[in-house]
Formats: sequence, C-alpha cells, structure tokens
Amino acid sequence: MVLELQKPRPIWYIMFSTHHTDIGLLYMILSLSALFMGGALALAIRLELFFPGAQIIADSMTFNRMFTVHGTTLIFLFILPFASGIGNYLVPIMIRYKDMAYPKLNAIAFWMIPPAFALVWLGFADFTWNAYAPYSVISAPGPAADMWIFGLKILGVSSILGAINFVVTILKCKHPDLPLSKAPLLAWSFLTSSLIILVAMPTFAAALLMLLTDRLGVSRFFDPAVGGDPIAYQHLFWFTFHPEVYVLVIPAIGFLYEIIPRFSRKPIFSHSSGVFAFVLLAIVSFASWAHHMYATGMSFTEKTVFMIGTLAAVPASAMHVFNFLATMWGGRIKFATPMMWAIGGIALFFSAGAGGVVNSAMPLDFISHDSYWVVGHFHLFVMGTIAFGSFGFLYYIFPYITGRMYSEKWGIAHFVLSFVGAVMVFFTQHVLGLYGMPRRVFDYPPIPEWIAMNQFITIGAMLLGIGAAIFLVNIIYSSAKGKPANMDDPWGLGGKYYYPYEAKNPHHSH
Amino acid sequence: MSGHSHWPEWIYIGVVVALLVWVGAEAWNLERLVEHVPEDAKVIKVTGQQWFWTFEHEDGTKEVGELHVKKGVPYKFEVTSTDVIHSFNIHDYVVLMDAVPGRINIVWFVPFDEGEFPIQCREYCGLIHYNMRGTLYVEDDA
Amino acid sequence: MVTTKHPVMRNIIGLFIVLSILIIMPSLQYALAQGDEAGEYLDRRVVIWNLFFRMMTVAFVIGAVVSGTLIWLIWRFRESHPKATPTKYEGTGALDE
Repeated sequence: MVLELQKPRPIWYIMFSTHHTDIGLLYMILSLSALFMGGALALAIRLELFFPGAQIIADSMTFNRMFTVHGTTLIFLFILPFASGIGNYLVPIMIRYKDMAYPKLNAIAFWMIPPAFALVWLGFADFTWNAYAPYSVISAPGPAADMWIFGLKILGVSSILGAINFVVTILKCKHPDLPLSKAPLLAWSFLTSSLIILVAMPTFAAALLMLLTDRLGVSRFFDPAVGGDPIAYQHLFWFTFHPEVYVLVIPAIGFLYEIIPRFSRKPIFSHSSGVFAFVLLAIVSFASWAHHMYATGMSFTEKTVFMIGTLAAVPASAMHVFNFLATMWGGRIKFATPMMWAIGGIALFFSAGAGGVVNSAMPLDFISHDSYWVVGHFHLFVMGTIAFGSFGFLYYIFPYITGRMYSEKWGIAHFVLSFVGAVMVFFTQHVLGLYGMPRRVFDYPPIPEWIAMNQFITIGAMLLGIGAAIFLVNIIYSSAKGKPANMDDPWGLGGKYYYPYEAKNPHHSH
Repeated sequence: MSGHSHWPEWIYIGVVVALLVWVGAEAWNLERLVEHVPEDAKVIKVTGQQWFWTFEHEDGTKEVGELHVKKGVPYKFEVTSTDVIHSFNIHDYVVLMDAVPGRINIVWFVPFDEGEFPIQCREYCGLIHYNMRGTLYVEDDA
Repeated sequence: MVTTKHPVMRNIIGLFIVLSILIIMPSLQYALAQGDEAGEYLDRRVVIWNLFFRMMTVAFVIGAVVSGTLIWLIWRFRESHPKATPTKYEGTGALDE
C-alpha cells in the first residue's frame, strides 16, 4: 500500500481489493470526507447562533436536522470508520499476520458504510442522534426518520462485523512468538473496543427495530397509553451508547500510546498498566449508562448505583494519563506535529474527564442536564481527545501511506488553531451551560451574557474551521507533491519507523 | 514488568480513588437532602406539551405559560407530559425534571426571592423547542 | 502484578485504611442525621451551587497540578534543553520494535 501515490493503481483495484491496507485507506478517505461534511454543518450551526434570531438558516426544522446529521455523521461516519481505518492498516502488521482474519468480511463491513452514509444524508432526520421515543415515534417526520433508522441499522451491523474481524485477527492470527500480553497497546485498544461493540451493539439494534415497528404502528413498545414506556428506549439506547463512547475513545488512547513513546524516545512507562486499564475500562463501561438519565425520574437508589458505576470508570482513565506523563518523563521529546496533537490531546482528555467527574455528582445534574455544559463536556472528548488523537495519528501514519512528508509548518499551524479553537469553543460552552442555555436550540433570548459567549464560541469555531481547511490542503498537496520521506526514520528520531513499511500487498504489482 | 518502580502509580491511584469517594459521598448526601420533599409542600401539576407548559394549582386554577407562586412557600411539582418528552426547567432556582408521558416525576423548591424567572424546556421536543418558554412570578404573600 | 511485599508500601496501605475509617464513620453519622429538622426549608440554589463550586475548586487545583506537570515535562525534556541527553534506550535498538 505504501507509496500508493508514487506508483498509482487504477482506482477500482483499490475499491475491489480485500487487502487490509486498501480497506484501511478506503475507511480513512470515507471518514475524512465525513469529517469535513459534518464539520461544515457545525460551522453553519455556530454562524446561526452568532446572534439571537434567525441568521443563515431558514427555520428551526432545518437547524434541528443539521445538528442531528452533524452528530450522527461525526460519531458514526468519522470517528468509528477512522479508527477502523487505522486498525485495518496496523493491527495485522502489529500482530504479524498477512491480513485481517476474514478479508472478504472486512470489505463487506466497509462497503456497508457508503449506503448508510447516503441514507443519513439524503434523509436528513431531525430527532437528534439519540432519536428519543416518543418524539421519534409520533412526531419526527418521515421518510427522513425511517432512513436514519435503516442507516444506523446498517452501520450497527457493519460495526459488529468489523469487531468480529478484529477480535478473531488479534486472538487467533497473531504470530505464535508474540504473547498476547506483549501485543502493542494499539492492538490491545482494538481488541477491547471490539469486545465492547460485540456486547453493547445488539441492544441498540433491538431498540432500532422497536422504534421502526412503533413508527409503522404494528407495535407500541414506547407508548405509555398501552403500557409501553418511553424511558425503556433510553435505557436500551444508553446501554449501547455509553459503552460506545469508550469504543470511540479507546482507539484514540491507543493512538497516543503509539505516538508518545516514539517521540519521547522511550518505551511506554508501563505496558501492563496500559493493558490493565483498557480491560478495566471495557468492563466498567457497562456500569454507568443511566447517568445520562438522572432527570428522567429515576429513584435515589438507581441514581446512586449509576453514579458509583460512573466514578468507577475514572481510575482506569487516570492510569492512562499517568502512563503518558511517566513516559514523557526522562525522555528527549521531539515536538513534531504528531506529538503536538498527542500533548494537546492529553490536556483536553484530562479536562473532559475532570468535568465528567463533576458532572456525575447527582445534584449537579439539576444545573447541567441538557444544557450547553453537556455539549462542551462531550465535545472535549470527541474533539479534544478523539479527533486530536486521530489527527496526530494521521500525521504520524502519513509518510507510511504516501511515502511523502506532510508540511510540518502547516501541520503545526493546524494544531495551534485547533487547540486554541477547541479551548475557546468547548470551555466556553461549559460556562454557557452554567448560565442556563439549553442545548439543541435554534434561537435564544437576547441575554447579554449568552450573546457574548455564543459569539466567542463562534469565533473559536471559525479557528477550528480554518485549521481544518489548512489540514485539507496540506494532506492533498503533500500526498502529491510533498518531499519524499526518509522511510526508515521520517522524523529523525534515531531509530527505525515502528513498523515495517513494506506491507506486502499482493494486488500491488510493481 | 520492566524493572522500574510502580510505587508512584499506586499512590496516584490511591489519591484518585480517595477523591472519587469524596465526590460520591458529597453527592450522595446532598441528593438525599434535595430529594426530601417537605410534607407541607403545595402541589402544582406541571404538564408539558408541544410547545407550552400548563400549571394546575391545588385549588384547581390553571395557568398556561405563566406560573404565580408565593414567596417562602414550598412547592412540589408533579411533572408529566401529554405527547413527547420535555424537561421542565427553572434555571434560576435549579429546578429541573423531565416531563415524560405516562409518568409523574417529582421535584420541589421554595421560592425565596420575589421577581420574574424564566421557565424553559431543556429536552429536545421538536419544531419550537427553542421557544417553549414560560415565566415564573414569585409574589410576596402580603 | 502488584506485590505489597515492600514494607513501606504495606504501611501506607494500612494508614489509608485507618484514615478512611476515621474520616468515613463520623461523616456518615453526620450525613444521616441531617435533613430531619422541621420548619426550615432547604434552598436548593444555595446547596447545589455550593457543591458545584467546592468540586470545581478541587478540579481546578488538580488541573493545575496535572497541566503544571505536563508543561514542566514539555519544558524540561525538550530536545533543546541544555541538560537534554539521549535516553538510555536510544541507539540500542530497543525503540525499533
């Protein structure tokens, strides 16, 4: 796969390939397209909120559809496929096997995503990425809602197939000389996140079917008039999607585990504590789902149980942070672009986690629930941690894919703009939530503090947008015209590139 | 294990766990107090529907979009909905409770200060969610 | 994976247990006794925001420690630091894996 752009093949060779590097490339191209599409929606949303009243978006229904598709796109079509792309590239190489365990299944899992992408975007549903019943049953207009349900159904199946493939590849196809406990932490991150998917995802698959049959009128699962319960949907949804946030973040932590030792010129401080923290996180991730539902009228006992479950996830995350810092300690750190992203990612990961601990305290839910605090909190994870780790890793793997170097100057510009932008946007959103602004609103009353903060956030979002534009130009230009990379040691770190870059692709004839 | 000491890590984990225990204990204690509804609280039935709030006092009087209460009197809101899920929120008094069809959720407060306070919907409920607003009027008894 | 054979480590764990009993028991008693008074109503604004600000104070202190450590690490272990020396793993092939 390497040097793809120097020795081009016809596009259909890649599209019909089942080789793990080809599928990894397809995943990454698709996920980056989704990133720019979802990001464009975010910028439109921010422009709309610059002033109270209607600005650039015609009506609230369009606005509601936009934030719904924004969330769905970035979670399911950017973060997850991006991680799968990196995993496809590196997991077989790391566990020293020629390909994924089931290459055809791998291709099928990828090719299920574009139709789902089309369903989500052509439908443009409006019921938020949560699709809470009964709104999604009795109030959301079709066929958009039904298209979203089918799209997510397909994505769920794709995700389960991908997870099966990763689990089998890592457990069954690893080289006999490589004990599982010594497998790189990036491989471990894919193993644990895939296991979470296998346990969590079927519940949401069931919930989607129930939603669909409810919408068709053949069942009344979530209709209280006949003994159904709308809260049951929330339990089914969050039983999948609280663990799912760990599915999103665990590969990003794996990326940081790859970048930080490399650029600190030291091995990881403790490989075993990284493995332990991944496994612990995978287990306790199932103990906290209903902390999203404190305000739905849960009993004191239920709230207490889920608060304890939530707090129990913190030590594992704290162990990762410790491991990152201890790895840097005593190193000789090279601040190339991937390392900058990794350090920014650690800082924002900590902030997100600390905000999450405060958030998990039950009485504080009366302040923060469904306010902009929540928006700021989870964006610190998805943007500040996951996207930062992903950008860093993309720069890290860029010479490996293309054989060329990205522009270091513009890579760092991308980082600085994104870091400043992320702090401006997501920290301010926390404060805006404390001032009581609800999330998912098209318009807000002209309260001076709200206006000022919304404008500050929008300016930060524009910095993120400029950073993203620089990123796009940088990767396109550098992959075609960039300087050829020194493939043994692209950053001059005094060691070989971590993994052999001559991935053997039988379809790639020289 | 690669030979180096793991001591600092275990002390660090100890500190983290101690902090989490503190957060959990504080939260547990306060939540218990906050959920303890005074026995003499007056009941107000709150109904959310797309896209307005209806309030019914104990004496049967109804208000739409406006809620008049007396200063210093404890009130117990029985929150429900007739269509989709809403969330009843008076941010200035830290009152928040989801309005779920088929359920009656309870939250209580005492208005200590006179004045007008915005009431809003915090759970996405469709087209005019952003403007599902009302006003709380706290009046002196005298 | 963890051994507590180290005598100091064992003492510290013992100390933690004693301290936690000393702290937890009285605060539990105090907590369970609260909220039973009649006539006085809780101002939820005051108690909830109070908890929030106490927790934020602690969060910001920890944040200062963590980000301070991170910034110090970045400053001290950069390549251009006057005392920067190659790590003991460089040139040994230990990093090529």
